[in-house]
Amino acid sequence: MSYRFDFGYILANGPALLEGLGMTVLVSVISIALAAAVGVVGAAVRVFRVPVLSQLFGFYVEFIRNTPLLAQLFFIFYGLPSLGLGLSVYWSGVAALTVWGGAYNVENMRGGFLAVSKGMREASQSLGLRPLHYLWLVAIPLGLRVAIPAMLNTSVSVLKNSSYLQAIGFAELTFVAMERVATEFRTLEMFAAIGVLYLVLVLILSFAVRRLEFHLQRPFRTS
Amino acid sequence: MQLILANSTIFLEGLRQTFQLAVATLLCATVVSVLIGMLSVSRRGWARAVAICYVEFFRDIPLLVNMLFVYFGAPLVGVPLSPFAASLISLTLWGGANGAEIVRGGINAVPRHQTASAVALGLKPWEIFRYIILPQALLPILPPFTGLFSNLIQATTLASLVGVTEFFRIGGIIVERTTLQEGHSPAFLIYGFVLLVYFVICSALTALSRRLERNLQRRGGQLARVAVKPQESV
Repeated sequence: MSYRFDFGYILANGPALLEGLGMTVLVSVISIALAAAVGVVGAAVRVFRVPVLSQLFGFYVEFIRNTPLLAQLFFIFYGLPSLGLGLSVYWSGVAALTVWGGAYNVENMRGGFLAVSKGMREASQSLGLRPLHYLWLVAIPLGLRVAIPAMLNTSVSVLKNSSYLQAIGFAELTFVAMERVATEFRTLEMFAAIGVLYLVLVLILSFAVRRLEFHLQRPFRTS
Repeated sequence: MQLILANSTIFLEGLRQTFQLAVATLLCATVVSVLIGMLSVSRRGWARAVAICYVEFFRDIPLLVNMLFVYFGAPLVGVPLSPFAASLISLTLWGGANGAEIVRGGINAVPRHQTASAVALGLKPWEIFRYIILPQALLPILPPFTGLFSNLIQATTLASLVGVTEFFRIGGIIVERTTLQEGHSPAFLIYGFVLLVYFVICSALTALSRRLERNLQRRGGQLARVAVKPQESV
């Protein structure tokens, strides 16, 4: 075996990798935020049994959870243009990750809403709060606290699965690395570099949300 | 519709590859899961550390990066792998990490006093595992393992990116070929069909998993539900 690990090579490619990292972070952050919104809306529709919409969201969740993300991505990027809904590489990626993460978040958030006790609903009704006020002022703040750990898991998955976007030519971290590997064959260096970068991203995201969770639990702590 | 019927032979061939890869992975991943799962409930600290590192590493690195690394990295150590072998290895490493969590949950679901009673009866450690823990852990493990199989089937689509001509890749090939021959892309139809097939297969497995779980709950409080971290999905 004559392969020698070359740290200098990683440093030399640092700028390109950082650019890919930037794209990964950007697309992930947007998709995670949109997916969270889809989750809250979808879960509210499901929990309040809004006719038609509730069934639609139920089917949406089942469909997305039982089909591979890669196939969904290709359907959006290559298939939708024939309906006149052609999206750029970037927005196809955002759409696929949002639709995918949103489906998981609907279930996560539904668990959060169901954890808000029935008494809260009755109390707010007797105080004269309308359903939307109840949702905004009571159910979402309380339900979100319960749902956040599960939504974190989904968000981490969205971040990791953003690597699939390289398959449609989105210049994110994995794409940048693969491009280099294809021309310069420094496989170990490139994969070590992106492996570490993904690990760091996942750990930062986990840490940030753990802090948020801690912060949100503050009103409920006794000590 | 005609296009799908005309290509039914290669679609079926792709489906066969998908199942071959998924089943082979399930078998290998089960072995890894049991080994790592046993390490993670060991009394020895180093064994638990090994198990935690393994599980965390393969759950935190994107599966695609793992797969590309196995495929492109193997030649560097002198063992070029076929796309199928590389996919099998990386899916096994990933499935094993998720399965190990399930096995750990299953073993932990067996009430503590069972082990204590077995010790009091003078059973040896391996006898306790073989005759007390394993039979009781197997049942609650079943529903999440069915779910894992559904996830593995979805994960095999990534193998298309290293060159396995499984079901999803076949769809891509048909799209490319038809576009070249006829000048317009049937991507909407073909990928829609591909999604539908995955949906039918995976929802059947998901439904089976739910049914197993309900059966388990009906058996009453003897067996706890397996509490595991949510499964990684792709």
